[in-house]
Amino acid sequence: MTLTMLIAPFVVLNVVIGMVTYVTLLERKFAARMQSRIGPYRVGPHGLLQPIADALKLMMKEDIVPTAADRSIYNLAPIVFLLPCMLIFATIPFAPGLGVADLNIGILFFLAVSAMEIVGLFMAGWGSNNKYALLSAMRAVNQIISYDLPFIFSALVPVLLAGSLRLSDIAAAQGGGYWFIFYPVIGQLAFLFFIISTLAAENRVPFDILEAESELVAGFRVEYSGMKFALIQLGEYAHVIGSSYLGALLFLGAWGGPGPEWLGPIWFTLKAVVLFLLVTWVRWSFVRIRVDQILALSWKVLMPATLLLLVATGMVVVWRIAP
Amino acid sequence: MKGTEPTVIVRAVLKAMGMTLRNLFRKPVTVHYPTTERKYPERYRGLLALVYEPDTGDEACIGCRLCEFVCPPAVIKVEMLKTPERNYAKSFTLELYACEFCELCVQVCPTDAIVMMKSFDMPTADRREMLLDKDRLHTIGLQHERTWATGNKLRDMQAPPKGAPRPGHAAPAAPKPTEAKA
Amino acid sequence: MSGNIPIADREGPRRIEQELTEADRSRRKIEFDYSGGERLSMNMGPQHPSAHGVFRAILELEGEEVVGVDAVIGYLHRCHEKLAETLTYAQYPSIASKTDYVAAMTSEFAYVMAAEQIGKIEVPKRAQYLRVICAELQRIASHLLWLGTWCMDMGGALGGGATIFLYTIRERETILDLFEELVGARLLYGFFQVGGVRYDAPANWIEHCRTTLDAIDGRVVEYEQMLEGNPFFLARAKGVGFISRELAEDVGIAGPLLRGSGVNFDIRKAAPYSSYEDFQFTIPVETVGDCFARYRVRMAEFRQASSIARQALDKLPEGPISSMPGLKSVAQVRIPKGEAYTRVEGPRGEVGCYLIADGTAKPYRMKWRGASFSNLAVLPYIVPGVKVADVPAIMGSVDPVFGEVDR
Repeated sequence: MTLTMLIAPFVVLNVVIGMVTYVTLLERKFAARMQSRIGPYRVGPHGLLQPIADALKLMMKEDIVPTAADRSIYNLAPIVFLLPCMLIFATIPFAPGLGVADLNIGILFFLAVSAMEIVGLFMAGWGSNNKYALLSAMRAVNQIISYDLPFIFSALVPVLLAGSLRLSDIAAAQGGGYWFIFYPVIGQLAFLFFIISTLAAENRVPFDILEAESELVAGFRVEYSGMKFALIQLGEYAHVIGSSYLGALLFLGAWGGPGPEWLGPIWFTLKAVVLFLLVTWVRWSFVRIRVDQILALSWKVLMPATLLLLVATGMVVVWRIAP
Repeated sequence: MKGTEPTVIVRAVLKAMGMTLRNLFRKPVTVHYPTTERKYPERYRGLLALVYEPDTGDEACIGCRLCEFVCPPAVIKVEMLKTPERNYAKSFTLELYACEFCELCVQVCPTDAIVMMKSFDMPTADRREMLLDKDRLHTIGLQHERTWATGNKLRDMQAPPKGAPRPGHAAPAAPKPTEAKA
Repeated sequence: MSGNIPIADREGPRRIEQELTEADRSRRKIEFDYSGGERLSMNMGPQHPSAHGVFRAILELEGEEVVGVDAVIGYLHRCHEKLAETLTYAQYPSIASKTDYVAAMTSEFAYVMAAEQIGKIEVPKRAQYLRVICAELQRIASHLLWLGTWCMDMGGALGGGATIFLYTIRERETILDLFEELVGARLLYGFFQVGGVRYDAPANWIEHCRTTLDAIDGRVVEYEQMLEGNPFFLARAKGVGFISRELAEDVGIAGPLLRGSGVNFDIRKAAPYSSYEDFQFTIPVETVGDCFARYRVRMAEFRQASSIARQALDKLPEGPISSMPGLKSVAQVRIPKGEAYTRVEGPRGEVGCYLIADGTAKPYRMKWRGASFSNLAVLPYIVPGVKVADVPAIMGSVDPVFGEVDR
């Protein structure tokens, strides 16, 4: 165990958690401006200390456990939910050679681990002993399982084009400015399906039926308060950021960009933030659709489409049609 | 989602997102209260107050109890004090926490003694502080700016005295030609 | 459409009792049949972000589908009808605002018209036109709030629904500014009085009205742009909450619910009051009867209300604003013996006031016909059979205000 193997995860984890808290502020200000209002403004100059105030508040809150809740499951659920969301950052290379663990099955690890948060979600819903939470958890399992398949298939398109599962290889294959999103038809279609699938896999509007405030009042996290709620929020936003990083890596050329090499991670983060803002923009523009409509969209539209796209990409790669 | 072609869906989605983007670049409508003061209109119904007569400086209230009689939630309590020259109000309590701000008391007052202010600033942590006695009502009357409406003006707005212009009434404007909007 | 089955008569989960042998009769075995017969009784309780007020709906769910609904109301009962017996005709209009607090002038209108009808009090033309202007502005303001809260029910307080909510509230604030200039209050006015209105239009108010109406017309176009072709919105609103024409006529609903199901009935045309016959407007009617049809009806009503208000602003005659002015009108209004029922086309339907006067300054009895109260009667017919997620969408398109329901 070398020193870098010990320090790198620590650094990455801290940076990620810091980024996640400030990304909530970015989302709130961006959303507020789209709604003709100002977001957080008073805490710190232009609200810059708002995430810290929120974190402090959540830490100081009383930890309420419902009497009839299944204690062990209820207490473990936030951790089981948070762990996969943090683990996905292990495989992302922030610059050539700068990553925690550059596995040669990088993207497979990412997709497999990010699908494990369903377990945490369902534990939260079941352990709360609350009809609303249970309904939401059942919907969540349905939805995330249905959307993981299009997610995987659309993420496999860059894998096919690059010819390797290793994430740094995929990023290197886009060096020279020709990102996978620029590929004539398959690049854009794959990006579109990727965005739709991540929206659904992260329970973002228009697919956030499982935390639908208007019917289910926060869904599976309705009984959580204080630090456990903070962990669940952290996990959700970490998953969004992780998927944004993955999207930036797969489609937008990761650390490619004008300027010297050490600007690479900054470009990477910028692209991830742009993807995050795109997700936020979609979130604050649409109403949500019902769960049966979400599942219909996944199984009837996205699955065949992504399968066909994968087949087409395979043919393109084998016959070297595209440049 | 059935029955709509992909191009129609994509165009509609982009239109909706474009609308949100357009609002991103509009100026926010937030008013930074309390650092910025909002400009209240002339007839704003704010806090209630008792005032003094402008020429003599004497209390304007004659204790006639018409406001007590007309108040719907019955928050005003007045006791009259009779003196040889004129009557006064011996005590005047107004429970502001129950007041509806309907301006009926202002409308009936014969001497324009009770008026409303253009401000509602009375933050308090204890509801008992909102039980206003006569001294506090007079203080409020000196602290804030009055609205346009007094009893006589409101009554004259409804029944102007012969030959005099009607207060609070806009001069008739030339009607603009309007197109019938379907 | 299935009617409402009382909870006591509904099927519960089926119990299968096995034939037990003598040996294990000590342990009776009861199994539940999970083949779709188990029902979950869920409370969309009085505290709920989408209940439009305090409203309790006990939903019987089979999986994701609602099979029965029991509506419990009365959480906001404030004894308006008894209050009206203790307050004079001059005092009650400001209290009447509080029934339908979103469109406060509608209730005042109905009450004051009832008193005038019994007392055969003539209302001057200027007052009638001012009443019409304010009623139409109130309709626009109420529909703006309806659109915002309905989209918020469907889209979530953290999501696209909230965006539309904030846009419509932003527009509604401009109308409330108009009322603030006229009356001094933003939400609960005391604008009407028996015999006319209490306040007259100040300087520049008419111009201000016109510019506000222009701005709102432009913004309504923007909302339609955001929602009209939006596939997510259409997926939620189309095909949900069908009210057939026969049901609409039988059950006693009114307003946009009726007109969304093909019945061409509007009190402003059928029994015009307060000079509505002087204005030209059309009644939007849609025949489909689902939530989307009611949405289209209300969006068209925006434009019609704006057009009526503009016509009234142009033709506003000079004259007194009240036929019972002065001290007399506030303190002592005596209505002779008689009774009357007046109806007003509010934004939610027919608001009616039944008044029995007995010659004194206070009515003998006053009864409100709440528009939302009668509209809620349609819920047991349209809610069973839809999914849980459709219940807020239906409630939003029925648009109840619980001040009117519970009074």
